Amino acid sequence: MRGAFTYLRRLLLASIVCVLGAAALTYAVDPLQLFRSSPRAFYSDDTRVQNAGLIRSQPFDTAFMGTSLAIHFRQSDIDRALDVHSLKLAMTGSNSRQQAFVLERAIAHGAKRVIWEMDDFIFVDAADIETDPYLSVDLYRGTAKGIASYLFSAAMAKESLFTLLRSVPPLRQPLTRAAPYLPVKFALSDVDDIYALPRDFDIARDYNATKTLASFAYITAPSRSRFLGESYGFEAMVRHFEQDAVGLIARHPEVTFDIYFPPYSILQFVAMRDASPDTLKIVTDLTAVIAQRLTQLPNVRLHDFRGIKAVTHDLNNYGDVIHHSPVVDAMVLKWLAGGEYRVDPKTPTASLEQLKAQVEVYRLPKP
Amino acid sequence: MLFNSYPFILLFLPIVLAGYFWLGRHSNLTPVIWLALASLAFYAIGSWQFSGLLLLSIAFNYGVGHLLIVAKLGASQRKAVLALGVAGDLLVLGIFKYAGFVTENLNALFGTHAAVHILLPVGISFYTFTQIAFLVDAWRGRVAAYALPHYALFVTYFPHLIAGPILHHKDMIPQFEREETKRPDGHLMLCGVIIFAIGLFKKTCLADGIQPLVALAFEARSPSFDQAWCGALAYTFQLYFDFSGYSDMAIGISLMFGIFLPVNFNSPYKATSIVDFWRRWHMTLSQFLRDYLYIPLGGNRRGRVLRYVNLMITMLLGGLWHGAAWTFVVWGALHGAYLCVNHAFNALVPGVPGVLAQPVRIAGAVLTFLAVVVAWVFFRAASMEWALRVLHAMADPSNIVFDREEIAALVLIAVYAALVWLAPNTQALMGYDHDNRRVGEALRAGRMRPLVLYGTSLVLAFGLLGIQSHSEFIYFRF
Repeated sequence: MRGAFTYLRRLLLASIVCVLGAAALTYAVDPLQLFRSSPRAFYSDDTRVQNAGLIRSQPFDTAFMGTSLAIHFRQSDIDRALDVHSLKLAMTGSNSRQQAFVLERAIAHGAKRVIWEMDDFIFVDAADIETDPYLSVDLYRGTAKGIASYLFSAAMAKESLFTLLRSVPPLRQPLTRAAPYLPVKFALSDVDDIYALPRDFDIARDYNATKTLASFAYITAPSRSRFLGESYGFEAMVRHFEQDAVGLIARHPEVTFDIYFPPYSILQFVAMRDASPDTLKIVTDLTAVIAQRLTQLPNVRLHDFRGIKAVTHDLNNYGDVIHHSPVVDAMVLKWLAGGEYRVDPKTPTASLEQLKAQVEVYRLPKP
Repeated sequence: MLFNSYPFILLFLPIVLAGYFWLGRHSNLTPVIWLALASLAFYAIGSWQFSGLLLLSIAFNYGVGHLLIVAKLGASQRKAVLALGVAGDLLVLGIFKYAGFVTENLNALFGTHAAVHILLPVGISFYTFTQIAFLVDAWRGRVAAYALPHYALFVTYFPHLIAGPILHHKDMIPQFEREETKRPDGHLMLCGVIIFAIGLFKKTCLADGIQPLVALAFEARSPSFDQAWCGALAYTFQLYFDFSGYSDMAIGISLMFGIFLPVNFNSPYKATSIVDFWRRWHMTLSQFLRDYLYIPLGGNRRGRVLRYVNLMITMLLGGLWHGAAWTFVVWGALHGAYLCVNHAFNALVPGVPGVLAQPVRIAGAVLTFLAVVVAWVFFRAASMEWALRVLHAMADPSNIVFDREEIAALVLIAVYAALVWLAPNTQALMGYDHDNRRVGEALRAGRMRPLVLYGTSLVLAFGLLGIQSHSEFIYFRF
């Protein structure tokens, strides 16, 4: 009987040693580069976690923010087009609260310019950032709780172990090549590749009119059309916009904000027109308020790409009704650099009026 | 409260264990009361608003059971008391679990817009079934009079309260009554910790680890062939490791108190037929459905056709027990149909020549696994429409993506498949023998002790490190 209790004590002690060993391994390898930057680091597509490390470890003067609409940009393309040293922090499905929080951290770490792809739907649901289960504020702030959750994590220990194995010379090449196809998160050897599409990506396969029209049919089907405007509320969205976007901009007058409304396909608005007109009204009213407010702020340049017919009416540019191809990504950078679609503070809703007119008369292409 | 949480592991469990054995030095009854109170606290911490309902349910069933056991009633009166007890239990379950579903269907039928919003009390399906079995056995005259604290502990016993295993009073209450269980047994403690560690690892590292892949099929608008299969297989493994991990943890925790819980899983994906699958998956539910539904319906005693009808009824109700949705009904119906086909096949082909036995077993295992995966699609999907979309994608090999993400998913799924098919299960590893109340005899004899101890320490460490902020067990919803 006494022997059994001795074994039990040994087991528990050995477990504690294993836990501490795993934490020490994560600290030494530091896959997220929270404690020290490393030229041999690997990167993850899990942007809500990865961004916490990028902000601390990467040199940058410009932060690039957005949702999935901005996720495929390459930092090298942004740098070349806009002559900046950028850090892409876009997060798929992110809301305005998350975006503002991450931007605030980026500004605290040296961003002098922010390029912000701003969707209307990021203001729909902005939950309290302190209790957000999808984004660890403690990790970004580097609090004891955040650091502990990083070090005492089986997932991070696994990643650290893989990184350690990959650093062994005979294994380096094969494991680096295999990593993207293995169930490990830190698989990308170049920070530029985070969520970027491969250079040889078959654009026509994933972005074409057939897919765009299929997506339109899907979201406007009677059984699903109610989801088009789910949780949309004008007052709440304005409140979130004021708190997250205007609040951040006002707190940082030394930072220049280039904010743009992305070039969704015209079908995004046509879907609302046909299946949920109330939602369309909320979206247009909200973006009118946004345009009026932002153009009054001295450190903001607002660009509206929603009415560029040559792009938004060509359904081959899209994978669904909103997500555009990398070809359009390049155009967005060109337009940002040239400033030709910058909203005039004297007529802040002129581009919106053009868009409304387009939406009103648009007719779906006949099959 | 979750087993896979630091407050439970570092605070609740040590305090309850210490209190139980300290009180056990002085009395045989107070540890039972302590454990029942601790179990109620365990329940109230997560679901305080339903604690009253749980207590009411215990009082009601204990009262009805007492009438059946003690009162001198005639046969018809006894039947009426049983009917009252079972109807009361089913009424409560019906209101809390099925009222919304019924209203939804009535709305669809009559074009009305009535709305019923009732929260589902955690564990209600489990503690209702446990007590119905008690009432039926009391009516059959197979129950001795139990003291209220022992009965209350039997229902609330925290290792099983939320998600099973479904306990039987005859198995549990005599164990609660035994004096030996109130004295700490180092060997049972050690085995309990090892089994708990395996369960924790299954949940936090394996089930939670593969969970993101499920979205490939069940959260994508139009999954491709490979994505749909990856998502469906990922859910197949997630559900197994989640639920069997919970069951292992329950068995391990209970063993620390010196109480043996029944085994709930026996490598179900190694089953060579659907009949075999149901002898290995959620075994305590299968036994309950067999003893208290299938056999009372007539079982296989009234000819082949009625046997199939009884099987279908049993599995349909088994499906509905899991959740109030048509997807669960279809899942149950599919398994009912599978069982009917299996029994019909056995009747038509009674024997297989020796040379074909092995290939037939392998073919049976593959077919069984595929049939189970297809049924899980309904079990997991948010709606019938979504389930059909996933199944349609699984049947359309012309639409394949097979990109980086899908290849990585496939590698992970292959690792899980190897674990499921090649590794021994927990009770085989630990020599857990519920019927004979024996466990870890090889460990006691010293065979491979260092390997087991240090291997377990690694498993426990990773299980602890894998704990995420809040990761509920899938079966908590049922």
